[in-house]
Amino acid sequence: MGKLLLLLSAVLLHVSAWAQRDTTITITTSGGLQFDQKRLVVRPNTRLHLIFQNKDDMAHNLVVTRPNARLRVVEFALALGDKGPALHHVPVMSDVLAHTVSVEPGNTDSLTVKVADGAYPFVCTYPGHGAVMYGVVYATNEPEKLPPPSEDRNLPNPDRVAEAGMQHHHANASGHPYPLTLPALYRTFMPDCGPAAIAVGLPGSDGGQSYVFDAGSCRLRYAWSGGFVDNSEQWDGKGQRFTKVVGDIYYRDTDDFPWRVGNQTPVVQFKGYRLIDRYPEFRYLVNGVEVRELIRPRVGGRGLVRTFTIAPTKQPLTFRATAQPGIQYKTSAGRLQNNQIRLPAGTRQFSLTLSTL
Amino acid sequence: MLLSLLTSLWLWASPAPADTISDYYTIETIHTPPGLTAETGALTFLPDGRLAVCFHRGEVMLYNPKTKIWKLFAEGLHDPLGIMAISNRELLVMQRPELTRLTDTNGDGVADTYETVADQFGMSGNYHEFAFGPVRDSKGNLYISLNTASNGAGIRDELRGRYDSLGRPGRMYACVPYRGWVMQITPDGKVKPYASGFRSPNGLGFDAQGRLLVTDNQGDWLGTSKLYQVEEGKFYGHPTSLVWRPGFPEIDPLTLSPQTLDSMRTIESIAFPHEVMAHSPTQMVVDNSKGKFGPFAGQTFVGEMDFPHLLRILPDVVDGQMQGSCVPFFAKGGSNGTPLRIGNNRLAFAPDGSLWLGQTDHGWLGDRGIQRIRYTGGTPLDILAMTLTPTGFDLTFTQPVDESTAQQLANYQVRSYYYEYHRAYGSPQKDVQVVPVSAVQLSPDHRTVSLTLARLQPRRIYELHLGKLTGNNGQKKLMNQVICYTLNRLRTQAVGRATN
Repeated sequence: MGKLLLLLSAVLLHVSAWAQRDTTITITTSGGLQFDQKRLVVRPNTRLHLIFQNKDDMAHNLVVTRPNARLRVVEFALALGDKGPALHHVPVMSDVLAHTVSVEPGNTDSLTVKVADGAYPFVCTYPGHGAVMYGVVYATNEPEKLPPPSEDRNLPNPDRVAEAGMQHHHANASGHPYPLTLPALYRTFMPDCGPAAIAVGLPGSDGGQSYVFDAGSCRLRYAWSGGFVDNSEQWDGKGQRFTKVVGDIYYRDTDDFPWRVGNQTPVVQFKGYRLIDRYPEFRYLVNGVEVRELIRPRVGGRGLVRTFTIAPTKQPLTFRATAQPGIQYKTSAGRLQNNQIRLPAGTRQFSLTLSTL
Repeated sequence: MLLSLLTSLWLWASPAPADTISDYYTIETIHTPPGLTAETGALTFLPDGRLAVCFHRGEVMLYNPKTKIWKLFAEGLHDPLGIMAISNRELLVMQRPELTRLTDTNGDGVADTYETVADQFGMSGNYHEFAFGPVRDSKGNLYISLNTASNGAGIRDELRGRYDSLGRPGRMYACVPYRGWVMQITPDGKVKPYASGFRSPNGLGFDAQGRLLVTDNQGDWLGTSKLYQVEEGKFYGHPTSLVWRPGFPEIDPLTLSPQTLDSMRTIESIAFPHEVMAHSPTQMVVDNSKGKFGPFAGQTFVGEMDFPHLLRILPDVVDGQMQGSCVPFFAKGGSNGTPLRIGNNRLAFAPDGSLWLGQTDHGWLGDRGIQRIRYTGGTPLDILAMTLTPTGFDLTFTQPVDESTAQQLANYQVRSYYYEYHRAYGSPQKDVQVVPVSAVQLSPDHRTVSLTLARLQPRRIYELHLGKLTGNNGQKKLMNQVICYTLNRLRTQAVGRATN
């Protein structure tokens, strides 16, 4: 009988883990550009109704973003410039999952957002607020596995030293019989990428920077700073779940595929990579033209230097780099015009530096 | 104290110990480095005798059996499940997204180039889309196999390869190209779809006769686990992969009747009856040790996930078609030392003739780590061959059997049944019949027993239970009492014994 009850409760637990729940939470402000609650923990697949009461003496909003996307949303909000107030300082982009309007002191607004599984940042995107006024919604069945608040990189904490992200570099934490040495690479399932994803972690201060290269579509997909990846869920069991981004995504490639060979529709084939001082140099064919791409961290701040080496071709080559808020491009060959670089004939190598403003 | 002394005296004085497989083979567990999660995806030996092993978290490590030292060769691979050594510096590794050539070009002992050899197949991001192989034929062609996806999970927003919704229904599905196929990669690098109809083809191998063999796992459309002889263009029965067959009509293959699908398929050469033999057969490997691994030289061994035994397959050829039997190997092995673990996903023979086993669980039943089976000498009494005759079966043993036991009809019990080909998961044994053995005849050299059965019917499995057969005047005991023969075709006339 006890066994039956146990079995029954196990079944119920399983069912409840998948059933959608509705939860309502009220958040307010606590002065000094802070939300009063910075860490909300709910079950996966919760439809969360967030009521935001602004008790501060200035206006704020509350924006819930996709995991790891707070920084990029804040950049895009900043880039709205004088269009910001009319849009409640909320940029139109897929990284924004839900948001309130601008809430004047003493007023209240609410939003509803469905959180599947993971860490969903919430932030006030008013200019200057985003860097300090934020928190996180955790949708998890294992709240006991969350880091203590003092070490939680998803929370604002001026006292915390920036080394919290470095714990991944020690042998025990690496999940391997050796310490993880950056640069490092994992072929794995990554969010917002095709299934043949390659995550690369680069050395640097404050946890370094990382990026994802899509081996299916042969292009850089996004980059982040403040850490590398968390493989614990991907490694567990049968390998269905994503590897998680650790840090803040600051760049996403919004172009479909950057290269054009003449006027041809791009046809690509991934050819692998070689390691140069542990940095992967990817090799791929674009309409039969071989391109090699080596990505290094920018010296002196957040950003990447993408160095391309191109096999000889008589066809004109262009590379698309569409302008986006918070990101500056610099090319070593040709000029960036109308969101694309026309490479001078015969260019065999050029680099594109991508930096945050 | 006195009691234990008495006990040991009694043990010492007792008659010869039971003859078990552990009197001929021992198990040794290989230590793996601290911090390693030893979910073993693949293993093989380099020409210089070092072992190369892939692990689930993407490491490829080299182990020197002499110094017992592990070294990292490559890292960052996505669930590598197959490996082939080209040289001491070059490996082919099958990982989820592609077949990759790993080369240490500068000779520092670590791979520095990761070259894509073949990735011309789709990925939906579903966990069950494993990729297996490669194996190589005598002409230099490579073969890999691609698992179907499981409805235990969905697919991602972004896919690699063309999506076909007609391949999406079903318990195991193939909504992107060539899931459920065996692919051929020619020496000049062309990737060709080779044969279809596979569900979870975790084992590929060439046997000593050069036949390409593939194991597949019990589930939907597989009443039990199977071994196929794979030939170009053929369809082996799991329907979803048909959507990727050139010229196949624009229909969901599941809308075809089981009778239609049955008429299209090539049936297995050897079935592994569920529970009796296997739950999840894995890799195949040929005993190329020329006797260093005991009396089974040239035979094909198969791994198994859920039972602490391996299998041997004993092919028989009737009308030019392979069929035959499977028998456990090393069942109850390790009884006087280290026991064999389960989860034996990968197998490789070392240059010294020992058989190395890579173990994994990977979210299923299984174990982790590496063990090896070493032959210590002597000849266990076991079945070497089982061939069909017009009236029954010939069983050939590794050594003469005692006439007194071999001649007893009661020592041979035969059941016969079949597994249904249908959409449902697995199948019970259908139409189970007891088949009387009407006569037994022992060959002059006492190595072969010829059984006459009351009836033989095609498309059925004959499960033979052997009683207490002995050899060497009772000193040798038969190692395995059960052997299952998959009878696809009857042998109509005596044409002499087929060898294999």
